[in-house]
Amino acid sequence: MKIDHSQPLEYSTEQNKMNILGFWIFLGAEIMLFATLFTSYFVYEDRIGSGPAGAEIFGITPVLFETFILLTSSFTIGLAIHAMRIQRTKAMLVFLGITLLLGAAFLGIEIYEFTHYYHVGATLQTSAFTAILLTTLGTHGAHVTFGLFWGLFIILQIRKRGLTPETANKSFIFSLYWHFLDVVWIFIFSFVYLKGMM
Amino acid sequence: MKELFPLKQVNGFIFSLLLTVIALSVYFMDLSFELGMTILLITAFVQATVQLVVFMHAGESEDKSAIYTSTLYGIIIALFTVFGSLLAMVWGYM
Repeated sequence: MKIDHSQPLEYSTEQNKMNILGFWIFLGAEIMLFATLFTSYFVYEDRIGSGPAGAEIFGITPVLFETFILLTSSFTIGLAIHAMRIQRTKAMLVFLGITLLLGAAFLGIEIYEFTHYYHVGATLQTSAFTAILLTTLGTHGAHVTFGLFWGLFIILQIRKRGLTPETANKSFIFSLYWHFLDVVWIFIFSFVYLKGMM
Repeated sequence: MKELFPLKQVNGFIFSLLLTVIALSVYFMDLSFELGMTILLITAFVQATVQLVVFMHAGESEDKSAIYTSTLYGIIIALFTVFGSLLAMVWGYM
């Protein structure tokens, strides 16, 4: 393995560079995946049948909390990568830990929201609108859930092996994933919630 | 401690909070649908760009043209899917 010391650790080998580029291509496919969900959402938004409309079930408070929590977690994972680049392993792990805690808080609020929807009669079977709403939110939430486990395993691995070209590369790729989830949430926040409540 | 909070990232975070507050104006103020959607479109896409460039370090490496090309390809397909479907299935029947 040839290590290029002029590059940050996560870019230091040819394999690492390829991994990062490969992950960007994967994110391109993820953009298209969420695009199909948003498409279906916009098409079925008004098909509420005898169920509730968006404005009746959305609440601004949980949405605000979710948005600011996810934005902050996107910031803290950025700080984690910065700490990694200046070789501050401990600070990096702290920032990663905060990121995952914020992610868990986000998920907790989203689960609360889903039970709320269920109680007000907005289930997967209620109408075309509620079906695509829950599918879109659920796909994002499933990504966050997956990210929590992924991040946790990365923390464990860094504690065990320290910062190596491999663990740095994995951490960087995980940070890309996490920022991407924040970007998707911005669009959900703007074009599902705010548009629905406008 | 200070070296752990680079100015670029802190500014990016403050800017993204600001964009969120601007987006919230469509909820708290009584705006027309068109104006509200314009605000949301601008804040959402600017926000996404901030994430991509400041936090995801998209333009830092030597393969940045490949990264931007593949991301832009994803975005173009996304926009065609969303707006093409809206045109064919919603707007055409209003």
